[in-house]
Amino acid sequence: MFLLLRHLARQRREIALPRGPRGSLHLRHVDAGSCNGCEHELQATAGPFHDMQRFGLFITASPRHADVLLITGPVTTRMRHALEVAYASMPEPRLVAALGDCALGCGLLGDPREHLNGVGDVLPVDIRIPGCPPDPETIARHLVAAMERPGHARPRGVPATGGDAAPG
Amino acid sequence: MPGVDALRVTTVGPWGLRGEVEDALAAGGVVEALFAAHGADGVAEVRCVVALPDGPLLVRCPLPAGVAPSVVDLVPALDWDEREAHDLHGVTFEGGVHRPLVDHPEDPAAWMTPVAGTDVHQVAVGPIHAGVIESGHFRFHAVGERILHVDARLFHKHRGLERAAEGRAAPDALPVVQRACAACAVANTVAFAEAVEQARGMWPDEPMRRARTLLLELERLYNHLNDLGQICAGVGLAPGAMAFAGFKERAQRVVHGLVGHRFLFGSVAVGASDLPLPAAAVAAARRDLADLRADATRAGRSLLLDAALRDRTRGTGVVSRDEARRLGMVGPAARASGLAGDVREGSPRLWYAGFRAASPEDPAGDVAARVEVRVVELRQTFDLLDDLLSGPLGPGGATVAGSPRAHGVGRVEGARGRTVCAVELDGDVARRVHLRTGSYANWPAVARAAAGATLPDFPLINKSFELCYACVDR
Repeated sequence: MFLLLRHLARQRREIALPRGPRGSLHLRHVDAGSCNGCEHELQATAGPFHDMQRFGLFITASPRHADVLLITGPVTTRMRHALEVAYASMPEPRLVAALGDCALGCGLLGDPREHLNGVGDVLPVDIRIPGCPPDPETIARHLVAAMERPGHARPRGVPATGGDAAPG
Repeated sequence: MPGVDALRVTTVGPWGLRGEVEDALAAGGVVEALFAAHGADGVAEVRCVVALPDGPLLVRCPLPAGVAPSVVDLVPALDWDEREAHDLHGVTFEGGVHRPLVDHPEDPAAWMTPVAGTDVHQVAVGPIHAGVIESGHFRFHAVGERILHVDARLFHKHRGLERAAEGRAAPDALPVVQRACAACAVANTVAFAEAVEQARGMWPDEPMRRARTLLLELERLYNHLNDLGQICAGVGLAPGAMAFAGFKERAQRVVHGLVGHRFLFGSVAVGASDLPLPAAAVAAARRDLADLRADATRAGRSLLLDAALRDRTRGTGVVSRDEARRLGMVGPAARASGLAGDVREGSPRLWYAGFRAASPEDPAGDVAARVEVRVVELRQTFDLLDDLLSGPLGPGGATVAGSPRAHGVGRVEGARGRTVCAVELDGDVARRVHLRTGSYANWPAVARAAAGATLPDFPLINKSFELCYACVDR
């Protein structure tokens, strides 16, 4: 069995396919009380125009397969538990991304008795993506920047991000 | 035409509410919304928005004991309205079994419909779904693959937006209403603004009517394109899903070029319309929309002729005409079931003179009919957009043409159907804001359409309505 795997590994080296971008992130999205704007724009980021998959960014169905928990909305009281369960289901290392101004605690929304003031009230936020809603380019730029950690080369064809785009 | 939609307000005691509703129905009226409020003296009351053939009517029913007679047996479409009034405002309705709607009790028996029989099992889905979708929980009762019944437990996203809007001056309440839903931001804010303007006795001038109609049709454009793409995704028709996702993106770029926001946020104001709409941007938009129209029309025709798509959509998720009427369905889904009715046909505050709603060739109430109705409505929307963009566009406003009143009701045809906003003003301050969207009206119909279908068809049936959760949860 292991002999076979070593054999396969050597074969793959010898094939020497052109290397794509190094690294990838698998994202699990959780809507914690958005207005649906961030969902539309996240779908557009994965859609035919922006095609974030080419940068190694994928939406995954289960938090168990996810590197990043991508959260929209201010975290309503009725979504808090489900959000915490999804976070607890993720393997380490894991990142939390707050997508949109509500998730970042813009405070514009509804009755404070019905929701928290952003993702930061329940989970440690690593990636902050501002906007109401952030447009697909902004979303892709921030997520690609999250891959630019030590040991990760920047994917080819992706412009370097400015200071405001650095993951928080 | 000031005064054509003047709102009549009548007050009855709890003993008179059912009679009032029966009279309205006998006169050919439609009860479009029921909600609870608290009067100035703190007494709870139930209010009904009724569309009568001779104009809108607001029925107020103060409840000194907090108990109202249920009218769900007369108007089944008000089931969710009564449950919400109970959960959020503590009103008790006599004569029905109460199941929580906004409240989320631990015990499923409290909110589920009991379904019994041999081999009936439950499938729980959500509130977190596998794709990029809004949050909601569905409980399927199934035998094998066959769905017997679905309980939708929404309101996971309830943000208390109505309460947050209350106590603010009307212009400050509008951004709160806008954030009920991004995809329906224009429909919801125009309904709110019209309600406020009606209460203040204001009438919009021609540029303002044209500008708001333009915004509403732009919103309908990218929503219909989105919905068609989602339906294709629901059957795994990747070329269709990709094509329409691309069309939607192109439509949103046109919108951004015109207004500066991809969801038209900030484009509607109370009593005024000050969109800049520079001539160069308008010309570019007309050009881009003409290109988009050609491509979307060709793709739409392909969808209607696609044998594989028709195979999956014909006879799937049927809501009959009678059932649609009973459930109070609205919008494209209702027209797909053969129900006439489009608020655009009677919108004196907008620019729809002579508009007649399109209907599908075969209004069978299935997924195929809901595809077709969007394809034919897109044609009208492109026509309206070209007409509006080729005519004069500029800043507009509303002038005071009548005496101010406390109550106003706005009715707008959003992409998912009739959106009703009822507003109570105290001077400039909004005392009560209630928003009942097309999605709110149609969610019970999704459950009805799914009964008898197989579990794998549910996503398709759901997408054929493509309702917002945010619009409902507020």
